[in-house]
Amino acid sequence: MSLVLKRTHPGVRAALVGALVLCIEWARTSIQSQPHMAIAALIAGGAVLGAVALGTPADRLGLGTSRLGLRIVGGLAIGAVLLLPGAVRSGAVPILPAGLAVAAVAVSIGEELAFRGALYAALDEAGGAPLAIIGSTLVWTAAHVLSHPPAFLGAVAAAGLLLALWRWACRDLVAPIIGHVIADLAL
Amino acid sequence: MKRAALLAAAVIAYMIAAWMVAPGFYDGFGPVQPYSWTCPPPQAGSNTRPSSGHAVIKVIGGVSDAADAYPNLDAQIVIGFLPGAFDATGKTTISVDITPLPTCPQPAGIRFVTNVYEIAASAPLVKPANLVLLYSNLEPAPADVYFASDPGGPWKSIGAAQQAQPYTIDTSTKSFGYFAAGYPSASPPPGAVNVGGGGSTLPIIVAVLIALVVVAGLPLAILRRRRSHDEVESEDEV
Repeated sequence: MSLVLKRTHPGVRAALVGALVLCIEWARTSIQSQPHMAIAALIAGGAVLGAVALGTPADRLGLGTSRLGLRIVGGLAIGAVLLLPGAVRSGAVPILPAGLAVAAVAVSIGEELAFRGALYAALDEAGGAPLAIIGSTLVWTAAHVLSHPPAFLGAVAAAGLLLALWRWACRDLVAPIIGHVIADLAL
Repeated sequence: MKRAALLAAAVIAYMIAAWMVAPGFYDGFGPVQPYSWTCPPPQAGSNTRPSSGHAVIKVIGGVSDAADAYPNLDAQIVIGFLPGAFDATGKTTISVDITPLPTCPQPAGIRFVTNVYEIAASAPLVKPANLVLLYSNLEPAPADVYFASDPGGPWKSIGAAQQAQPYTIDTSTKSFGYFAAGYPSASPPPGAVNVGGGGSTLPIIVAVLIALVVVAGLPLAILRRRRSHDEVESEDEV
């Protein structure tokens, strides 16, 4: 499928990747709500989202080992920023059941590879950084419409924008992955 | 510089957006609606009282209908009845009432992690009813559902089936009385990753993350600057 995508116009390719990612997220959310399916849906959903990035070179995804220390520190900083409002408000750390913690890690890595990785790269190729930042944030927010109450979507969009801006400013996906995993484990 | 300014603006935008909804960025792993506590734990923050529920079940041809009963506002406990679950002799309807106990008993050897609910009905059960209790993500996952015919005890475990949804515990009951979910307090909480343990741990985690960023970030940034400086110098020499 990645070969077919490679041969299409960049704009069409970006639209296809966006639609694919959106469909996977909505399907994952729908399956997740079925009895006994939550953890399996999260892990499978994370794996399928991650698979969307297959075929895209690592450097175009923002993955790499150069400046790894800075990337890790950046990830810790993003994690701190994402958790700060919760820390100030409640001071409480929710307790994830072990299976759900594994699933949370899987889906947060998959989401970053799909949204700030493959989708960002496709949009960047089609229309440059502004389209990549705004487009990936809009699709990210739309992907959470089924799983989140409307009141939460502003925070979801703002988190997506922050992660996409980091991806653009630092050409890095390692830090968004680390920050997203930290936030999902704690919230 | 422009990039740093845009990133800083995005951080501020996120802080404002996340401040407007608790707990902030939330990826859907915990329950969307906070648990309504009879006796909220210290880390719960603002709390709404748990609600009561009432259901009227029809009896058709001497057989009670299939039905669910749950509290009207929060559905933190749901009891489901199959057709013919009640001894409906001489009845046209059966009423079921669910009431949260206003106190929070903590019997010896058991740690409850949910409210205690009283379930009463106008007819006895002849078939087991399915019982689902919701629990909070602020407490460890319960191991069992406990039952007592009196809130003072004795409390006994009525087991737990595999959870159908995160933050729920399922079982079945053949009797009405008092129900709560918990775990034996002599044992550690079952199957939980205690990310922080409640209390004031989230600020500590955030403070540690910030400290790590400062401690690790500064030397890395200095090293990077020196390296780029050296590269510029070597380019000049060439």
